[in-house]
Amino acid sequence: MGLEIDGKKINEAVKTIVDYGGDGILNCVQCGACSAVCPGVRAGMPVLCRLLIRRILNGQLEETIEEMSTWACQSCNRCTEICPQGVRPQEVVFAFRRYQANDLAISTSAFGPLMSFYETGHAVTVKDAAEKREQVGLDGNPPTSLNDEEAQKELQALLDASPMGELGIF
Amino acid sequence: MPKIGVYVCHCGSNIAGVVDVEAVRDFAEELPDVAVSRKTLFMCSDAGQEMIKQDIRDGIVDRVVVAACTPRTHEPIFRKALESAGLNKYLFEMANIRDQDSWVHANDKEGATEKAKKLLASAVGKSRGLEPLEDKYVEVTPNALVIGGGVAGIFSALELADMGYKTYVVEKEPSIGGVMAQLDKTFPTNDCSACILTPVMVEAGTHPNIELMTYSEVQEVDGFIGNFKVKVRKKQTYVDWNKCTGCGACAEACPAKVPDEFNAGLNNRGAAYIHFPQAVPKKAVVDMEHCINCAGREIGQEPKISKKTGKPRYAPCEKACPAEAINRSLEYDPKGEIVELDVGTIIVATGYQVMGKENFKEMAPDSPNVITALQLERLISATGPTDGKFLRPSDNEKPKTVTFVSCMGSRDVNFHTYCSRICCMYMIKQARLLKEKYPDLNINMHFIDVRCAGKDYDEYYVGARKMGINIFKGKVGGLETLPQDRLRVMAYDMESCTPIEYDSDLVVLATAVELPETAKKLGQTVGVQFCGANFFKEMHPKLGPVETSTGGVFLAGCCQGPKDIPDSVAQGKGAAASAAVPLAQGRVTIEPLISEVDQDKCSGCGICVPLCPYSAIKLREKDEKLRAAIDIAQCKGCGVCTSACPSGAITLHGYTEESIFNQIEALTS
Amino acid sequence: MEKYGLYLGCNIPFKAPDIEQSMRKVLAALDVHTVDLKGATCCPGWGTAPSFDLDTWLTVSARNIALAEEQGAHITTGCNSCYGVLSEAHHMIEHKDRMGAVNENLSKIGREYKGEAKVYHIANILHDIVGPEKIREKLKYDLNGLKIAIQPGCHVLWPSDVMEVKEDNPFYPVQLKALCETLGAEVPHYSRLEDCCGMGSLRSTDAEKSFTLVKNKYESMHEEIKPDMIVTTCSSCYLQMDEAQQIFRERGKMDYEIPVFYYTQLLALCMGEDPSSVAAISKTPRESIIAEIRKDSRKTSQEVV
Repeated sequence: MGLEIDGKKINEAVKTIVDYGGDGILNCVQCGACSAVCPGVRAGMPVLCRLLIRRILNGQLEETIEEMSTWACQSCNRCTEICPQGVRPQEVVFAFRRYQANDLAISTSAFGPLMSFYETGHAVTVKDAAEKREQVGLDGNPPTSLNDEEAQKELQALLDASPMGELGIF
Repeated sequence: MPKIGVYVCHCGSNIAGVVDVEAVRDFAEELPDVAVSRKTLFMCSDAGQEMIKQDIRDGIVDRVVVAACTPRTHEPIFRKALESAGLNKYLFEMANIRDQDSWVHANDKEGATEKAKKLLASAVGKSRGLEPLEDKYVEVTPNALVIGGGVAGIFSALELADMGYKTYVVEKEPSIGGVMAQLDKTFPTNDCSACILTPVMVEAGTHPNIELMTYSEVQEVDGFIGNFKVKVRKKQTYVDWNKCTGCGACAEACPAKVPDEFNAGLNNRGAAYIHFPQAVPKKAVVDMEHCINCAGREIGQEPKISKKTGKPRYAPCEKACPAEAINRSLEYDPKGEIVELDVGTIIVATGYQVMGKENFKEMAPDSPNVITALQLERLISATGPTDGKFLRPSDNEKPKTVTFVSCMGSRDVNFHTYCSRICCMYMIKQARLLKEKYPDLNINMHFIDVRCAGKDYDEYYVGARKMGINIFKGKVGGLETLPQDRLRVMAYDMESCTPIEYDSDLVVLATAVELPETAKKLGQTVGVQFCGANFFKEMHPKLGPVETSTGGVFLAGCCQGPKDIPDSVAQGKGAAASAAVPLAQGRVTIEPLISEVDQDKCSGCGICVPLCPYSAIKLREKDEKLRAAIDIAQCKGCGVCTSACPSGAITLHGYTEESIFNQIEALTS
Repeated sequence: MEKYGLYLGCNIPFKAPDIEQSMRKVLAALDVHTVDLKGATCCPGWGTAPSFDLDTWLTVSARNIALAEEQGAHITTGCNSCYGVLSEAHHMIEHKDRMGAVNENLSKIGREYKGEAKVYHIANILHDIVGPEKIREKLKYDLNGLKIAIQPGCHVLWPSDVMEVKEDNPFYPVQLKALCETLGAEVPHYSRLEDCCGMGSLRSTDAEKSFTLVKNKYESMHEEIKPDMIVTTCSSCYLQMDEAQQIFRERGKMDYEIPVFYYTQLLALCMGEDPSSVAAISKTPRESIIAEIRKDSRKTSQEVV
């Protein structure tokens, strides 16, 4: 009964997060300042910042993988600014996201932008963009990768060669 | 022919785990002049020492070389052993085959063993050139100096004075008392701070053996343990303290406005002021930097004559003083007066300051209702800016909700990584005092942890909860400013994992304890180093809490690290005990490992004089010729003059040419 | 003279191209030399590559910055989110020693990242490089008597250690305040000024929670300072603050309107630019505030074109 503290499991959890880019995680003393200023926490998302770190430090990586709170992180970095121990909590949250993403435990709302990103180089596209642009006096075709096949191919080459390419979502 | 005894220590497994001690012992036996080579498990043990002593008594050895750990800790032990067996203690040499060998070459046993042999050969070579030397002694001035008149300094001074030593107390403010004088009550007894401190202050002020030098600062310290020469600047008060009665009339009359340091900047004082009501000594000073020279009343000039009345126009402070202690016509020296003191020991007890709120950008530092805990202490104090009435600085209204925030600037890599130790307790104290007086006051305290290590401290904390003070675990992340100077508190309750947001009337920040910028200069002047956390550095973190690396200079109180009053007093008394040792012994031992000039060989060229970093060499006339002479008290045995002398007239005792050449040969063969 | 690669992102060129127009016109009028970054992709947005793999994120960002480097330019953007992504990438590549890994990836598409270009937000260029004096010279309309509630947003303030241009106190930002005051308006403080508007990953993950944040902002503005408009330097905040209030009105939860501008739109209007190109697209109506801004009585000494 109760949470079993498994040293090996904790070490693996910490290593996973550190390898994904959250290398400040062991500095955390659980003071809670990050959660006090986090817009996600203040809006009511249950598992972000301090509590997410606690779960990881308890070795509960798998048990938390379905938690969608992490996908609400705004990357506003208020947490990073005021953390007194240099943890950079936003990077820990994103490291956890990478852990989730590599298992495809991502928010459903993330798939659309991802596909759009791969195909056009833009996470967000709008159908009547060209019209709107012309309406205000700009060239309907923006100087981005939207209609630039070469640029799109470059991005796709980068993504195909990256760990994202191995996920089979593109 | 010297008879050298070599003793190799296993040091448990510290050395023997890496170095082949047997091989080293074997090697040493073959060295020339080595009469005996032994090894043992712990050379410093009774058995090990007895081994050496027996060899001496039996006449087998007249030089002793120990290959073991560091002379820094163990040289004194072995020297004592030689002495007790009847051999001059300076006929001893130590080879460090632990810190300099086994500890740093743990992965190369073969290499470490070879190095041990070389180090030992070098020590044996050196020992061949050793001569018997005698300790020298210097008389000690039986006076003490305490720098800083806070609670630690006061108790140090009282102990020394009670022991019978004349003690000077130099304090930069006009009165002694320090930060403790600014407190309202003290935890955990809730004693009125002034009530328990004032009697001690008065005792210090009237003790026949204590001379208080307030409004003074140490400018220069020369000399060494037992014989310090200290220059103290007595700052210019512009008030005749022989006449001043401390009535305070000048302070009331003065129109200037200066943020009052005693009230932590919450209100203003005049340029003429008395530090606080229970000041010792209770004398006024005129802070000339902020004096506005009323009526054009320049110092050192006669008063201007009023065109209307034909009478001289005096400044308000002069007019108000009933004792004629203020006379601005006098030619005061703005630099004050330099006084020279001769003392045997010095205790540094200069205390601390708390960080200002302006450092904490996320805590709305510009809001008048965000204050530091020290400011709150003054607010609730009967001698404070509101006469003890609990009112908000912005509008003098009574707060309904008060917030306490812990760890501002402490436990923070952006400011100070250490815990300031006293804040949890003083926040609880302040909350309890407020709740007692105003039961309807809503008090919210936000901690990361609650640290109450001390007698009756945890009980005090639990008592606070029982009084209905709200205590939350989770550091406040920031404040937002609301209309009417209220604050929105953004916090977090870790225990229920919920964000907290509420409006507060007054926010109290527990800011970190630190040393002021002026501590750097003082450290340089007195010769005290800084530790990593920027407090003055004690000799050893565990076993040397009151000594420093400079002989004769001691530390007491928060200048050595944050601590509460009982610990400051304890350290003050401890420092006094240690500081009294040289005074009680009456003389200070000078190690004879210093340089000496052979008067017959010296040509009087004077090259050595400017080279000495300690200014220990002077040219003196002897038989109508100039000869260099070294002051044994100043010489530190650095050897610069020895190597520079073109006539080879200087010997550095303990490090003769013969010894050094023997070492070089042993190490390079 | 310094050149700046104009990095557009996604929202601005597609959803609010009038903001893009306003940026182009304003920068040209202030003699800031900008170049287009042909083939620029998504920065990449926080919910894409950064949430999947660190080096991929850094590589895609580096590619975008390299497009500016190739033209000997720095890079500037008007979207806070892009600014955050690019600034952090720029900082991390240097401080976490990822230059080698990034260039190994980029070499596969024949590009190289040198790390020479600096990352600026358009607000930095206007405030620090052009300066309020020069902006004032170009104004044709003055906003004297109008009250602005500013929304600096998040990514232009934190984490301050990765930014090229920092505020003295990011919890009490003054840069956007100064820019608005330059136009002659009053910019009073409101208690929730530094709060997040909720746009971004939070909006995509849980729209209702995102709405509680922006509702608090509206209420704070309305109750404490009653502003005539909201001005922001973040395109995401612009979209949120413009749309969310419309949604609340449709739900019957809000009975007032506060028109929203991106700063360069307001500046462009004050410079005399045509609203149909610089401030044409919004959910909350802006006709009356625009008419107010362009009243004859607000004309400065400059000639109106």
